[in-house]
Amino acid sequence: MAVKVAFMQCSDCWGCHQSLLNAHLGLLPILPALDIVYWPAVVDFKYDSLKARPEGDILVGFVEGSLRTNEDVESAKLMRQKCQLIISFGSCSCYGNVHGLANFWDIQEVINRKFKDAESITNKDTAGEPKEHMPGFTSKIVPLDEVIKVDAYIAGCPPKPEAIISAVTFLLGQKPQPKADLAFCNDCVLRESGCLLEKGTLCFGPITSIGCSLKCTNDGKPCVGCLGPSTTVDIRVNKLGEMVKNIDSLSSGDKKNLYEFLALFLNVPLMAGFDLAGDILKQIKHSGTPQTPLADMPSDTINIASSIMTYLRDHREFLEISNVCDTCPRIINSKSQMTRVKRDYEGLPNMDDCFIEQGYLCAGPITKAGCGGLCIRVNSPCSGCFGQTEWNVDQAERFAEIATKGFNVALSKDELLSQIKDKIGFAEKFTLAANKNYR
Amino acid sequence: MVKEIEVEPVTRLEGHGGLRIVIDDDGKVKDAQFNISSTRFFEKFCEGRYCEHVPRITPRICGICPIPHHLTPTKAVEDAWGIKIPEPAYKLRQLLQNAKQYSSHVLHFYALAAPDFLLGPFADPALRNVVHVITKMPDVGAMALKMMDFGQKLCAEIGGKSVHPISAIVGGMKKPMDEDARDKFLKQVDEQIEFTKKTVEIGLKVVEDYWDVVANVGVVPTYYVGMTKNGVHDIYDGDIRIVTPDGKKIDYDVHDYLDALGEHIPDHSYATHMYYKPAGYPEGIYRANCLAMTNAADKMATPLADEALKAMKAKIGEVSHHTFAYHWARIIETVEAIELIKKYLEDPDIVNPDCKTLDVEPREGVGVGVTEAPRGLLLYNIWSDAEGICKKLNLLVATNHNIAGIEKTLMHVAKQVFEDKALDGLKLPDPWIK
Repeated sequence: MAVKVAFMQCSDCWGCHQSLLNAHLGLLPILPALDIVYWPAVVDFKYDSLKARPEGDILVGFVEGSLRTNEDVESAKLMRQKCQLIISFGSCSCYGNVHGLANFWDIQEVINRKFKDAESITNKDTAGEPKEHMPGFTSKIVPLDEVIKVDAYIAGCPPKPEAIISAVTFLLGQKPQPKADLAFCNDCVLRESGCLLEKGTLCFGPITSIGCSLKCTNDGKPCVGCLGPSTTVDIRVNKLGEMVKNIDSLSSGDKKNLYEFLALFLNVPLMAGFDLAGDILKQIKHSGTPQTPLADMPSDTINIASSIMTYLRDHREFLEISNVCDTCPRIINSKSQMTRVKRDYEGLPNMDDCFIEQGYLCAGPITKAGCGGLCIRVNSPCSGCFGQTEWNVDQAERFAEIATKGFNVALSKDELLSQIKDKIGFAEKFTLAANKNYR
Repeated sequence: MVKEIEVEPVTRLEGHGGLRIVIDDDGKVKDAQFNISSTRFFEKFCEGRYCEHVPRITPRICGICPIPHHLTPTKAVEDAWGIKIPEPAYKLRQLLQNAKQYSSHVLHFYALAAPDFLLGPFADPALRNVVHVITKMPDVGAMALKMMDFGQKLCAEIGGKSVHPISAIVGGMKKPMDEDARDKFLKQVDEQIEFTKKTVEIGLKVVEDYWDVVANVGVVPTYYVGMTKNGVHDIYDGDIRIVTPDGKKIDYDVHDYLDALGEHIPDHSYATHMYYKPAGYPEGIYRANCLAMTNAADKMATPLADEALKAMKAKIGEVSHHTFAYHWARIIETVEAIELIKKYLEDPDIVNPDCKTLDVEPREGVGVGVTEAPRGLLLYNIWSDAEGICKKLNLLVATNHNIAGIEKTLMHVAKQVFEDKALDGLKLPDPWIK
């Protein structure tokens, strides 16, 4: 049976819809699974029809856009009432996006620039904020999750089409299918001596299907679960179970493997900027959707997956362990060296070396991974649209700190900082509204 | 009794809007409002930014037409700083702008407008959408998706991202097109031209089927604003052209825009009301977008499109006030876009690495950049200080140019519908999708 979904658009650009539509032919297989009950951008249902629905009638609600008007806030609250799961969809609702830069000024000053002082206005004597049938503006933009409870986030400006599609299929209860009876361990070269789990390294061999052609353990690396679950588990599942009970104490390498496991084994679309906040699995089950992502797996495997998902729900910062540099093909510690901060219009960067080392400001080291480095591919530095890897700090300072430590930079932290004339525009373009330092 | 009709929200629209029509107890339409209830103040928060970063912020004004919102501010900064760009960069930008025009126009025709015509205006609202069109007319649906996909992928190839591109920079483009990618798109372009011809057939059939509507509903004389280069239709480069209701054409250099374009702040819409200044408000209310462009153009830039333009003008006049002819004009522009895409893909300059002026210096100055976005004229007026920081920004954005014109048309149509009962006698075809 098709699942009810709704899309609410607050103040934004339509780009998240365009990105979803950019899946084009990829949309055809999922459309029959969706009963779209509200999506003003594409279908003709009116606001009243949404209001008339019973509470919790809709399974998944996507809320996108910044909360710039009072109407936006009302619409978000209405969606929370009508939907069992709310997804904060796109960097506007996740972080406020560029519109949040307006928080730097008093709202009246902002309003006056557009409605009173613009050079092209001809009725200066009567001009001012329009009021008739108009909703009025919020004094500051805040992220969606400060106004309503949010269950999952899909960041990006815009989110990638494949992220949206995979998030939808995940939420609709797609489950990993067991591929083989036996677990990976049965065929592992380290089985008899040198087992990684025995040595304290996180390895998902005991719950993963046997049969991959390029075994990671041949190179001494742990299994991250590419092939999905096996029908039976290996005895060392106990050791694995112990380790995931205490994720905080894992090494950073183990944590990155855990991250990959979530994406590869459980099909959680994390690498695309998707992240869970609420008790999504429970809610999907509660709603009566027949298949949860964890069905049909051995109970040991379910327990391990559940511990990880629960941890994830309570530790959103876990998802911020990878930054854009981790996925950037450019060379760090290259032959180039930053000796002064260059502006983007100066010269033309080469395609091989790190932008920062070539002197350009690139937000890669402070920005969450998930975009696939699209800007970098066309020779443009990262501007941070997927959000920060650490919150509520001075981001320009954090950038200067990281850049002067880990990159070929001849400037001191203070010298670098002093050469960034527009610190907020560079380091907080998409996230100012979410940074509590500026409240 | 006074009756108020509200449509909230207007659907299949980019942005937020509602309609309000007030009918007096004598049955006369008293008021018709188009209420746009959202705005985000880019004019203000771009202040203090690096001028060259403004084009990385402003694409967020519109997710359907982010490319003009990337290129136009770049042009404005280049104007303020006195920067010339190399010929290969100019051609890459033309290609990028036309790739966007192509995908946006196809999206508009098939996803936003076609459901009205293919299902008919009185179809069940639950079904009157592109999803249903795709289900019921899978061949047409798949073709439309392939057309949008081609345009969007080409935008992504040159722009880096199709939604919110990043490849233009003050002084040119960050990178030429890769030869492999160019070859890949060249291989597909002839098929796209065939798809476009098919779309023209569908479009003309719709016009024919709905001729009674096209010729009689919402025919509203207004001024028009568009862009031409020496009188020829151009969406990246040219002067502002005003067309008067009786068809007189007046050109303005973009720097003189304040002589031509006035902005009236209404009390019932965050999108403002634009008008032709010498004619005054509200008399000078104009419309923008594709019909305004075909009204403004002496000719199209490419042969097939020019032929199509001549055919349209022969049928509905040199200057058309037919609101429903917008769909027709949009298809003519789609033809031009795909022809230009082919022309530029075949031009070796687009893979030429000489696509950026290396020596760029900021200076204190005021710049104006204008292009024609898929929804109308797009104008950026930027003030730079000596260090290249944006001190001030004035924006006249595409959809905004149409708001007053839409409201004027709404009033006209409301009178036709509620006072003259004009819908009763209209000849409507059998819907294609029943």
